[in-house]
Amino acid sequence: MSTATEDKHSAALDAAESGATQHVTFRLRIRRFNPEQAAEPVWVDYELSMDPKEKLLDALHKVKWEIDGTLTFRRSCAHGICGSDAMRINGKNRLACKTLIKDVLGKPKNGVYKPITVEPIKGLTVLKDLVVDMDPFFQAFRDVMPFLVAKGNEPTRERKQSIEDRARFDDTTKCILCAACTSSCPVFWNDGQYFGPAAIVNAHRFIFDSRDDAGEQRLEILNEKDGVWRCRTTFNCTDACPRGIQVTQAIQEVKRALITRRI
Amino acid sequence: MTEAERHTYDVVVIGAGGAGLRAAIEARAHGMRTAIICKSLFGKAHTVMAEGGIAASMGNVNSNDNWQVHFRDTMRGGKFLNHFRMAELHAREAPDRVWELETWGALFDRTKDGRISQRNFGGHEYPRLAHVGDRTGLELIRTLQQQVVALQQQDEREFGDPEARIKVFAEHTVTRILKDGSRVAGVFGYARETGRFFTIEAPAVVLATGGIGKSFKVTSNSWEYTGDGHALALLAGAPLMNMEFVQFHPTGMVWPPSVKGILVTESVRGDGGVLRNSEGDRFMFKYIPDVFKSQYAQGPDEADRWYADPDNNRRPPELLPRDEVARAINNEVKEGRGSPHGGVFLDVSTRMPAEEIKRRLPSMHHQFLELADVDITAEPMEVGPTCHYVMGGVAVDPDTAQAEDVPGLYAAGEVAGGMHGSNRLGGNSLSDLLVFGRRAGLHAAEYAGGIGADRPVVGQQAVDAAAEEALRPFGLAEMVEPDGPPEGGGPPENPYTLHTELQQTMNDLVGIIRREPEMREALQRLARLRARAKQAVVEGHRQFNPGWHLALDLRNMLLVSECVARAALTRTESRGGHTRDDFPTMDREWRRKLLICRLAAGAETAEVTPRPNPAMRRDLMELFDAEELQKYLTDEELQHYSSEDAEGQE
Repeated sequence: MSTATEDKHSAALDAAESGATQHVTFRLRIRRFNPEQAAEPVWVDYELSMDPKEKLLDALHKVKWEIDGTLTFRRSCAHGICGSDAMRINGKNRLACKTLIKDVLGKPKNGVYKPITVEPIKGLTVLKDLVVDMDPFFQAFRDVMPFLVAKGNEPTRERKQSIEDRARFDDTTKCILCAACTSSCPVFWNDGQYFGPAAIVNAHRFIFDSRDDAGEQRLEILNEKDGVWRCRTTFNCTDACPRGIQVTQAIQEVKRALITRRI
Repeated sequence: MTEAERHTYDVVVIGAGGAGLRAAIEARAHGMRTAIICKSLFGKAHTVMAEGGIAASMGNVNSNDNWQVHFRDTMRGGKFLNHFRMAELHAREAPDRVWELETWGALFDRTKDGRISQRNFGGHEYPRLAHVGDRTGLELIRTLQQQVVALQQQDEREFGDPEARIKVFAEHTVTRILKDGSRVAGVFGYARETGRFFTIEAPAVVLATGGIGKSFKVTSNSWEYTGDGHALALLAGAPLMNMEFVQFHPTGMVWPPSVKGILVTESVRGDGGVLRNSEGDRFMFKYIPDVFKSQYAQGPDEADRWYADPDNNRRPPELLPRDEVARAINNEVKEGRGSPHGGVFLDVSTRMPAEEIKRRLPSMHHQFLELADVDITAEPMEVGPTCHYVMGGVAVDPDTAQAEDVPGLYAAGEVAGGMHGSNRLGGNSLSDLLVFGRRAGLHAAEYAGGIGADRPVVGQQAVDAAAEEALRPFGLAEMVEPDGPPEGGGPPENPYTLHTELQQTMNDLVGIIRREPEMREALQRLARLRARAKQAVVEGHRQFNPGWHLALDLRNMLLVSECVARAALTRTESRGGHTRDDFPTMDREWRRKLLICRLAAGAETAEVTPRPNPAMRRDLMELFDAEELQKYLTDEELQHYSSEDAEGQE
């Protein structure tokens, strides 16, 4: 292992010293859609030569800036925190800004790489190219009462919360509302009425917050027919989460709370 | 006549980051019908990127802390150029804003007795930053977003319409503030998705658009940071101030490419991380300026004792204010002791056990491992200065956040100037957003509420002119003939190419170290770019057309970049986020002057003029030792204070 690390290190150093980077040539196959031009989406290939350690978002920018200025996708912080650029890359939901080209490039066959496919996330209406209508997703988020409901008098300083109580819902506060989980869920694909994993994660965040007094109400919302019982535990959501949230586990905790009626 | 969707509100807030949302919540709380306009989806604002925490002297970890100490640190960090009143209000009100955020549900790391935990940060005398691991900005935005949802559900119960009093126009961009005489009358812009124009008639507009970092090549800023609010204010007749002060965060990743520009939060240094050069030397001890000598450890032994026993030891120099650290790194690299990719090494791996690193800096650890194959528990990071924040902004009244000269216009957060002087301390940004976001919302609401029947009106002529300006890049496209050049001279220009050239120009010629001939060159290049930007041509239609959006953003970036370059050329000293190679020292005379940028009606570039910096109130001045004041104030000013002193004793 140590040799491999050294090799990698010195290769990087050599590249830097010579001022060159090791570019590879590959194709980006993007599912393009412009409702003003055609009723159906089309796959379009773009040939790029780039350092494979760059991000897929960099590849999309290269297409937009140098080849076709009309290519449309959402992105904002570009550092994996804001959750704007979830898309299906080689058939799997990822954030374009957290995906390195080398990790989706595969191995070359006769010196040629298979194209990297990029398409919008599934289950939401495509508006243009990689941009989908996020309204139903945010509506499900709003439907689970995603805000603290605390009874009693407002404190003048902070409410106290023990380190243990705080740790209980730490994982589900990491959500960036990117929709990677919800749009990877086969139940959601078949029925857009299902709340979807992201909304349940955001309900979990409050149900298990020791400061909150509306856990019962949220559990009732999630007990409805479009709620947690639709989950088939396929773990797609957990695999898709760019924040590493244990989404399926959070859903299971909500189900258990519904059965035992204990939070 | 332009076809534009028309709305009427009492208060319009442009920007949905921390300042914008806090302003909107306050305006709504005062009964105003409030519109929030943001370029991205709701909840994706650049505030999410803030990692370190919110500075507030709650004194939960060290009870010696109070607002006066926070005020002092802020003034020192800004090299006394800050507007003292803004720094005072900020230090006084920050604790209440943090507690308020907690009661709205924000998650915080806790002390053993369940209070909000606070951490050390550069330039802050005591542990002061309330935080959630290293995702404090994300939690701040999410909590405010949740609060907006809660208010909308209240309104739904009360009025049957969740958007009765607060509506979010997501993925909308404002291109003009509209006026009725000298007063604000509303805004004009376009919906990014459909490309359709809209106007909102409103007597009060709050600018909360953030910064200008996308004018620089090496930046941590997100795509929204094109100086929109700065430019909108200028175009509406409001002045900007302090535009020469741009903060370069000292520790942005320089390698590998996948993480280039990502910031390594200062808390890595607050928790024990150290900076070393290529010779393995912990070099920061060489760079402690005289003004800070009494507060920072002179050697590694004392510095290392500080982490466990801060009361009896002085702080490590890695925690000097950002401008000092950035300059030191720049100098090490310039003198040939840099890392292979032009930075220095930031090492936490040899300073604490791997498990501890993972616990304290989980997102950092995860991010670098995943994106860069860099395990920060096992190897150092390669870091260097990265454009991060602009101290300059709209000149506002400190108490009300109202922009000078334009009744009805307000500004809060990064787009406002004055609060941070020449250099912002880490952690003071999130608190700034909450303190002045609230104030802007409050005073905008009072102004709009008090206007009665005398509401300003949006004139059709102004709407038509704004629409014509916005459509120009398409008009040019139609003019392009296959056989010849378009009208107006010059070949058609690709907006992306122009943007890249602008970024390179600002980075190379008006970057962290500045020289007169280079800035003159920059101004010439900017003038050429401005001419070429008029030939920017876009393909396609108005629906979700990113090329068109950038062509419109270019106007703002060029306007603001000129302000930065002109102000930087005018200020012949080095202070905070403005370092002149040809004027390397701080000049006490220059502290008395602020540089103001104005755009005359119909002019293409802003004029820069100096004006006096208001003198600090006496009770605030007394918070400092006379010896320290001598470093910043002229003899004349000091005499003035001591003569007042004599009068006071009579």
